[in-house]
Amino acid sequence: MHELLYVIVMPAVMGAVTLFFPKKARLPAGIIALISSVWMFIKTVKLFGLGESEYFRTVFTMGDVFQFDFALRLYGFNSFVLLFIAMFGALIILYSIGYWFKDRETPGIYYTYILWTLSAAACAVLSDNLLLLLICWEVLTLLLYLLVNMGGEGHETAAQKCFTILGFSDAAMFLGVIIIWLVYGTLSISSLSISTGTTTGVIAFLLLFTGAIAKAGAMPLHSWVPAMAKPTPAPTMAFLPASLDKLLGIYLLARISLDIFSIRTGSGLSLMMMIVGAGTVLFAVLVALVQHDLKKLLSFHAVSQVGYMVLGVGSGIPVAIVGGLFHMLNHAIYKCGLFLSAGVIEKRVGTTDLEELGGLAKLMPITFLTTIVVAMSISGVPPFNGFVSKWLVYQGLLQAGGYYVIFLIVAIFGSALTLASFVKVLHSVFLGRRQEKFDGVREAGFAMQVPMIFLAILCIIFGIYARLPLEKFITPSVAGSTGVSMQEMAVRTASGYWNPVAATVLMAVGLIVGLIIYAFGRTRRVRIDENVWIGGNILDNEEMRIPGTHFYKTVTDDLNPAWTALFKDGQEGAMDVYNIWGRIGFSVVQVLRSLHNGILSTYLSWVIIGLGALTFVLMFAL
Amino acid sequence: MDAAKYLFSYLIFPGFLFTAVAGLLATWVDRKVTARVHWRVGPPWYQPFADMVKLLGKEVIIPAGARATGFLIAPVVGLAAATLASTILWMANLYPASSFVGDSIVVLYIMTIPAISMIIGASASGNPLGILGAAREMKLIFAYELPLVIVMLTTVYKVGSFSFEEILGYQSANGIMMGSVSGVIAFIVAIFCAQAKCGMVPFDIPEAETELAGGTHIEYSGAPLAVVKLNMGIMFFVVPIFIITMFWGGVSLAGWRILTTILKYVAIVTIMVLIKNTNPRVRIDQAVRFFWGPMLVLSIIAMILAVLGY
Repeated sequence: MHELLYVIVMPAVMGAVTLFFPKKARLPAGIIALISSVWMFIKTVKLFGLGESEYFRTVFTMGDVFQFDFALRLYGFNSFVLLFIAMFGALIILYSIGYWFKDRETPGIYYTYILWTLSAAACAVLSDNLLLLLICWEVLTLLLYLLVNMGGEGHETAAQKCFTILGFSDAAMFLGVIIIWLVYGTLSISSLSISTGTTTGVIAFLLLFTGAIAKAGAMPLHSWVPAMAKPTPAPTMAFLPASLDKLLGIYLLARISLDIFSIRTGSGLSLMMMIVGAGTVLFAVLVALVQHDLKKLLSFHAVSQVGYMVLGVGSGIPVAIVGGLFHMLNHAIYKCGLFLSAGVIEKRVGTTDLEELGGLAKLMPITFLTTIVVAMSISGVPPFNGFVSKWLVYQGLLQAGGYYVIFLIVAIFGSALTLASFVKVLHSVFLGRRQEKFDGVREAGFAMQVPMIFLAILCIIFGIYARLPLEKFITPSVAGSTGVSMQEMAVRTASGYWNPVAATVLMAVGLIVGLIIYAFGRTRRVRIDENVWIGGNILDNEEMRIPGTHFYKTVTDDLNPAWTALFKDGQEGAMDVYNIWGRIGFSVVQVLRSLHNGILSTYLSWVIIGLGALTFVLMFAL
Repeated sequence: MDAAKYLFSYLIFPGFLFTAVAGLLATWVDRKVTARVHWRVGPPWYQPFADMVKLLGKEVIIPAGARATGFLIAPVVGLAAATLASTILWMANLYPASSFVGDSIVVLYIMTIPAISMIIGASASGNPLGILGAAREMKLIFAYELPLVIVMLTTVYKVGSFSFEEILGYQSANGIMMGSVSGVIAFIVAIFCAQAKCGMVPFDIPEAETELAGGTHIEYSGAPLAVVKLNMGIMFFVVPIFIITMFWGGVSLAGWRILTTILKYVAIVTIMVLIKNTNPRVRIDQAVRFFWGPMLVLSIIAMILAVLGY
């Protein structure tokens, strides 16, 4: 068998094998899944080392009319995406084993779906044929639907919503593929080169673009991510919308906008993509500020961060593209880590409601540490990885000059709001005060800790040794000169300079200086006081709990009625195209409904009007 | 540059030692001027240092409900970040070609870390007043960050680069940023943002001594309180230097220019102290309205003027 087929066939077959396990045998199924995903990971590492490879087989032909090729192509870009897909697969399966260790409800078929998802994702990434890619996309949508349907309360509506939105975008992609086949006569991605000067080209691009951003979860097709956040178990959230779908969606976006259509900087389509990106950054993070549920809040950030990627890739500026792609990788890492932490909270505490939680840092030190690392990464605090990729996007936007400075402002401000949102999370989950009923909460188990620690360490490494991922993964995948150069341990662009290694070392030295100051002081003579000082009042623990959910109430509620309305909408649906279409559809149905009033004369008059119209058409119009 | 040189510049000059001494002296200037405005005599110049020494000798109290590690480590992280920001700024000014650590966007981000660490510290203390202070601090951050980013970008836009080297080179070649209309407007906005960043009246809302009894600082005592005070001193030193670098041609210690540097710094500090002493503390919603209202409009005007070339 061809080496490329292994990574597609093997998880699919092993997934089918786990189907035959008895329903109660979750653990063996999980272990089989873990072994096969680790095996797949090793295989992808080998493929990554291999660099380039191709596989081609015509599956069927329909005379001269149509031909379907099973074409796979491995090269710089997709080899690293594939590597990370397999890595996330292995981590999530390991985590899931811990997550469902004692849960008797969840059937082993979960692992089947995860393995099949891995297989379909690998095929989508490797595919060199648009139709094959589309088929994989559909399979992924179906598997997502099935996975969401395994969730808790409210999973039916969520799954339906996911299926509707992704189904819609898949249909759009299908139309795009048909147009490309009819007009350009080939579906092979590597040989397609379509000009966006023609209307057909633009329409084809927009249709494929819809498919890509719906998968990645950018506005306006984002609402399936927050909708599935609450009912879906955390491992699924961490696997699909947080990491895999970002990799896939942005991979496709980069492929179509850089390879197939080669969008140029300053063109209308580039501007459109950047507006989508900047809008997504800003609106999603504003909505995230007011969320009361940890998983829902994280899901809005999963939407918001896509904005940076779309902004970077869509700008067409080499430095920003590098930043956007690096952000895709970083986002997959830290958002996966964040959802895994949320999973620990969900599992051990039993709720992800931010009003209930608080003060868990002491009981869950490892989870707290990993969460603080990934939270600082997503907020773009130097020297973590999120900062480097955002910084690269800023550099690119500045180099373009002109009105791009607006996007630059939005991007930087969005990052400040992200920080605000995660300060709220850290406060209301881990710091602050704990409710007494949660005193017995335990730390996550070993299988759950390992992926979290691994991802947190990856965040630190990719932040400090940013040259490692940039040189190994990102730069080879962008054709031509990138404008990002590496000097010793630093990253340099034409407009800026950042040396994370020096910054980290110096910060560490600063920490030591601070600790020396403590040592000079009498910090060893610490008195653990009875209670905090609140102006002489004596309150009990419950009265002193201040959940973080109202941190930003002044900003969201008291400034301006229009502003408040935006947030209200945000908490419910958030500029949700799905709901808007639902409402439009409903009003159309209402009109049709009012026609069916059951009165014979109404029906008769409709018949007569119809006859009249028909006669008119037959007599005059033809 | 080798590691020893980096370490020297971070620890001694222009890093920790220099910055800490200068920062504490700056707080003395603040206290002295405030006292004169109040028609008091004010403290002697060594008062901030004496305060430090005394605080170091005091017992450290940790409230029973606090997350002790986070509570104690937070001010230290803030100190490390504030020192790093100061070192980057001074190195960029003194040795423009050194490419030390990072550019202006890096400094902008690093300058928020002290505030974040105070929020984490207050949140870890478990004191409700501290938590109120933390919430206000965060709101204040994203309130002033928007106009601050825009006015910073007016300079960056004109220069076409984030790097201090280019920003300073541009100003020495084409005259300081403040020489243009957009530069003056940007400078005014930046001063107000600096006021908030340094936590000075009218924007000392997170600490609010008379209302929250210290807010974010409420539970700190002894050595940690000394570090917190040192942080505030350093920020009071760093933020004006950042503004001078971005809009006023930078600082220098060579020959006579040392005098102009001190004059620039003292001018900004005097403006800030005068604003502090002639205004009452505003509420947090008023502060947000102020920064997202008039300040945002001014900063956008500055941006438009910069784009038009004024």
